[in-house]
This record gives sequence, C-alpha cells and structure tokens, in this order.
Amino acid sequence: MIESLSALLLPTVVALTGALMLFGKKDYFGAFTKGAREGLRTTVQLLPTLTALMVAISMLNACGIVETVAELLGPAADRIGLPAELLPLLITRPFSGSAATATYTQLLEQVGADSLPGLCASVIFGSSDTVVYIASVYFSAVGVRRTRYCFPVAVAIMLFCVFFSCFLCRIWFF
Amino acid sequence: MLGKIFGILCLLSLLAGILNGNAPQLGSAVLDGAGQAVEVLLSLGGMLCFWGGMMNVWKEAGAIQGLSRLLSPLLRRIFPVAAAKGEGLEEISANLSANLLGMGNAATPMGLAAMEKLQRQNPHPEKASAEQITLVVMNTAAFSLLPTNLLALRRAAGSASPYAVMGPIWIASLVCTLLAILLCRLFGAASQNPSGAGKKP
Repeated sequence: MIESLSALLLPTVVALTGALMLFGKKDYFGAFTKGAREGLRTTVQLLPTLTALMVAISMLNACGIVETVAELLGPAADRIGLPAELLPLLITRPFSGSAATATYTQLLEQVGADSLPGLCASVIFGSSDTVVYIASVYFSAVGVRRTRYCFPVAVAIMLFCVFFSCFLCRIWFF
Repeated sequence: MLGKIFGILCLLSLLAGILNGNAPQLGSAVLDGAGQAVEVLLSLGGMLCFWGGMMNVWKEAGAIQGLSRLLSPLLRRIFPVAAAKGEGLEEISANLSANLLGMGNAATPMGLAAMEKLQRQNPHPEKASAEQITLVVMNTAAFSLLPTNLLALRRAAGSASPYAVMGPIWIASLVCTLLAILLCRLFGAASQNPSGAGKKP
C-alpha cells in the first residue's frame, strides 16, 4: 500500500506541474526550459571530476580488495559488535550507490533479510549514503577545491551511524 | 582532497590487484570506469535538466517560497548566513524535502542548485564555506521517511516484513542528522575564529 502510494509520488508531482503549465497564466514552460538550461551547465561542470572518480571506483571494485579486507578484518569486527558479513557493504557504501546496492542484495541472499546481519545491513543502507560520491559531485559542481573538514566529519558520522545502527538492531529486534 | 582520495584509491587498487592476482581485470576497469563516468553523467544530466526545470516552475508559481517559509524557523538556525542574505534557503528546503520524501533523484539537482546559491555568498570560492559543508554532510546522512529503494530490495530478497526496519532507520537517520548539524557547527566555529582574526587560512 505504502509502496504503491510512494510510487505515485513522482508522477503526481510531475503531473501537477504539468497542470500548472496547462492552466497557469504565467509562462511556466519558459521557466522550465530556463531551469533545465541551468541543469545542463551543472552537468558539463561535473564531467571532469566524475571521470576520475568513476575510474578509481571501477579499479577498487575490480582489484578484489573488498574481499581481502573483509576476510582480514572479519574476526575483529565480530568482536566489536559488528557482524563480519557487513564489511563488504561498509567498504562500498561511501563510494558507489550501484556497488553498494549489489553488495547489499548479495548479503541479503546469503544471510536472509530478517537475520541480525540482514537487519543491521538494512538499517545501515537506509540511514547512510554515498559520502564520497555526494561530496565530490556537490563540491565540483560549484568549483570548490578545498573541502576543509567535510570528509572527516562525514566519514566520522557514517562510522558512528554504522555502530549505532547495529546497536539499535540488537535492542530493537532481539 | 579529491586528489588525495583518487590517489589512495588507485594505489590501493593496484597493490591489491597485484597481490590478489586480479591485475588483468584492472586494465579493463580503467577503461570501463571512464566510460561509466559518461553513462552516469548522461542519466544524471537528464535528471539535472528535468528537475532543475521543474524546480524553476515551482519557484515561478511560489510553491517553493511557501515550503521554505514553512521550514525557515529550522533552517535559519542551521544556515544563518544564507538566511541573512535571503538567498539559498528556498533551494535548501527543496533539497531537504525531496530527500525526506524519498525522491533521491530529484534531491540531487536541488542540492546542486542550493550549492550554487551558497557559492555566491562564499568569500573564498576555492574553499568550501561552513554552510556548504553543512548542506553536504546533511545530504550524506540521508534522512528519508520512505526509502522505497531499500523496501523493494528487502521484499525482493524474500523478507517476511520489509517494513520492520523503518523504526530503527528513522531513529538512526535522525540521530545522525542531528549529529551532523552539531559537528558541522562545532568545526565551523572552530575554524572560523582564527581566520576571522586576519590570519591566512
């Protein structure tokens, strides 16, 4: 029910905007093309950064480091209250939405969506985002080079969020 | 900073690729990655144009101003400079509401529009302003009332109760977002004072 309602959200928003163009008195389509042109400018601005970032992410996915790190750190992670199965997700999450989605799906298949690691992974997946990707896109779109304390703070919050999510799942579900 | 991230990722990947015997895949990964960048950009670019246009229509109709008036008691405290300049709060409220409603695809174009407005108030265009950082960190904390993507994935994986995680997700996102605002405020204040005294940052 909620899912189908939310699926309707975007089309409804678009249709309402269309209705505005149909019945409104102002030149709303002119406003649309003007805004869209701004979007085009931003897009062009993004390409240089995005090529570098995507090459780096693609290399990271291909080299197998995710599996290596997960194997090495697994026992240690278990000891500090972090299910070892989560590690691949934690490594890919900050960089790439599609890679994180793939690892999340694999993880759910391996351990089950309603197991403790599966639930922890779901909460982490739902309450964190692709930190590096978002920060890169946002800053390079406006030409900011020095990002100051942004990455340290964002990564610290994500780490906190990971532990907090696992803790929350333990007391919530078990 | 991006240069450092790029360097670390590439060096680590090369090292790990050689150690794992995945060196052959690395070469094609480089070629794929550059191609993927254009693919991502094409889909992102379509979205940027479309939602940028949509947002401009709502602005023309006065809907975004209404939204921003609704959120302004909150946003004024988080983004005092933008509030004082009277510019950017509309885009920020559109960005945060789109995130909240789970319209992630629409949120990015609005976030970028907000970044541009904030950039106009930025005295050092090369350097991120405190409010820009706050906006980015709030976006990475991903506070969403309805993460549709996640629910669909859980359902596809055969979960008996896809929605069971909503409570913990809301609590975790809320705590992380509040922590994000707090930390950004602390760091912003700490880094502001010395440069405000006339020292070269």
